[in-house]
Amino acid sequence: MVDRSGVAVSWSRHGGADCIRLAGLAELAGLELAARVRIHPVSAVALGTAPPTAGRLLRDGPDTCFVPRFPFLDGTAYVVTVDGAAVAELTRAGADEAATTEVLAIHPSAATVPRNLLRSYVWFSAPMSEGYAAGHVRLVDDAGDVLAGALLATEQELWDAARRRLTVLLDPARIKRGLAPHREAGYPLRSGAPFRLVVDDGFRDARGRRLRAGAERRYQVAGDERRHVDPHTWTLRVPHVGTAEPLQVGFGRPLDHGLVARCLRVVGPEGRPVDGVADVGAEERSWRLAPRQGWACGPHRLVVDPVLEDLAGNSVGRVFDRDLARRTDDPRGARPVTVTFHPR
Amino acid sequence: MTEYGLRVGRAELGSAGPITFGPAGILFLADNATATVFAVDVSDPGRTAGSGPFELADVDARVGSLLGADAADVAIRDLAVHPDSGNIYLSVQRGHGESAQAVLVRIDRADASISEVPLTDVPVASVAIADAPAPDDERVDVVLPLGDEGEEITVGSRTIRILRRPIRTSTVTDLAYVDGALLVAGLSNEEFSSKLRRIPFPFTDAADAAGNNLEIYHVSHGKWETAAPIRTFVPFDGGRAILASYTCTPVVHFPLAELAPGTKVVGRTVAELGAMNQPLDMVSFVQGGEEYLLVANTSHGLIKIARRDIDAQAPLTEPTEPVGVPRETADLHGITRLANLDGEHVLALQTDPDGRRHLRSLKSASL
Repeated sequence: MVDRSGVAVSWSRHGGADCIRLAGLAELAGLELAARVRIHPVSAVALGTAPPTAGRLLRDGPDTCFVPRFPFLDGTAYVVTVDGAAVAELTRAGADEAATTEVLAIHPSAATVPRNLLRSYVWFSAPMSEGYAAGHVRLVDDAGDVLAGALLATEQELWDAARRRLTVLLDPARIKRGLAPHREAGYPLRSGAPFRLVVDDGFRDARGRRLRAGAERRYQVAGDERRHVDPHTWTLRVPHVGTAEPLQVGFGRPLDHGLVARCLRVVGPEGRPVDGVADVGAEERSWRLAPRQGWACGPHRLVVDPVLEDLAGNSVGRVFDRDLARRTDDPRGARPVTVTFHPR
Repeated sequence: MTEYGLRVGRAELGSAGPITFGPAGILFLADNATATVFAVDVSDPGRTAGSGPFELADVDARVGSLLGADAADVAIRDLAVHPDSGNIYLSVQRGHGESAQAVLVRIDRADASISEVPLTDVPVASVAIADAPAPDDERVDVVLPLGDEGEEITVGSRTIRILRRPIRTSTVTDLAYVDGALLVAGLSNEEFSSKLRRIPFPFTDAADAAGNNLEIYHVSHGKWETAAPIRTFVPFDGGRAILASYTCTPVVHFPLAELAPGTKVVGRTVAELGAMNQPLDMVSFVQGGEEYLLVANTSHGLIKIARRDIDAQAPLTEPTEPVGVPRETADLHGITRLANLDGEHVLALQTDPDGRRHLRSLKSASL
């Protein structure tokens, strides 16, 4: 782009970095380059007094290169000003790549959830960008209307370290009994009224691309779940000694997808953990452990971390909101709970 | 800065999170991507800019201009005011996804000039805030990977690929420094609990740095006791007490002295802020010789509560209206962050109906 000033401005490279190259910039004695050449995002120009974009102005033969302190952003337009006059506007091309990222899973995977459901998880096939969850994940009823205020708005989204699993919380203030929001607005969900968790394709992956397609999961809504998670009521299918048959554990109700994967372990007769491959079963209602080596004789312990929760946030150690008048709601301590079994 | 254990190095931020000033102009920065809190000597220019209000329209577009980004690509995550100079520090996330960068920005109180604060070759210390398993806990978090990451293992006739990596994270929602300790409130991406960490500063070895994990409960109307993550909190009464608001909106008071490791603390619920509203930030300020607390909310205006009313408020036991301490609601909306600018002004980050963000001063005497 050549302006009346005779300065040609273009995207270029300098010293291994992206830059804006200015050709034909006449030298003016006694004036520093930094005082003559300014770069601003177009969107900031109207402010008049916005600071110029940070970067270095470097001589490259007859040309001048602006190397920004932070990389240029795709899709952003920049204005180049020389001696107070705008000489060019350049737009950084957006990444025009095909969408490849998709939603792999939405948890809970149970078809029916309690009315006081607390948490969902969305798994993506690639790392995602932050800042899109509030606008692109929602709960809707069968008519497609959004359940307003059902999800908790958090400023900092809840991701795993790889930015592939998003945790979505339903507004706990509307679930907890007795609180003003619960009395004023009621539960986010209604028993008997199905709903869908919807992720639309506007959610951006870490490279800024849309999703290949939106995704959703539909749920039926049952009554409330307010009991502790109680490992002593679980059913165990005990394997045979010397085999690598899996130990199978049935929970009797769906448990939290995120927690069940890490809250269970098996300790052998000598006090060492049994190494193997653990799987979570359908609807997060069961768990099994296939050992790497055959099962030993003697007492084994299934050790349950008391933070293990069900879909409504009731854990082994405490119920989600404890009715102080009900003895069965009393906390059960912060120590691991063990269930002993003997391979047959 | 060596007396605080800072050494020249780099604060390598993976993401921009809450910030707060500690002793001697040291700024604490929470990085949720790497589960670390950094303590950085920001080398504030230090001239006292005098008092008077500070206003800066379109602060997001101005900061974006410096960083070569449109306002839409700039997220101001937190703000803090240097206790001596009154200079304003912003924790800023620039860009999204792979191109996102965390930047610390300083706005000069005197002339509103904006500059990047270096985080390399500066005195720095750090502490990990991950929920590290106990040393004798041999568990690893094993997940089935989604691509070709992880390792292959064979069990019986099956060969599968597994990934041994924690997927549980703890997101810092707020920070405060009180009497030699950094208080850190966090939100887990898995379990729903109320943990407030007290991390001694200067940071010591890893074992100490894990800090006290303080479980804080609250009771609604004398009938239901719950734990919930703390979203925002503010020390007041000279650091003797904390006022905290939870993800489930009650405002709860507890005395700091009662916070001992391993003890269950039940806070006193002193107010409820109502449905479809989330508290975003709190600050304590003085008006007419009395201490007040100011709460910024997602849907209500600014709420002002007197300390004497908090002290006098019996725990909420009846679900009657109004709920809890007397409060005044100012017709100021869109305020997402608050900080004490000086004795006479509270600095607010405000989003206007067009989505533009401005820094403005609220006169303490008029609040």
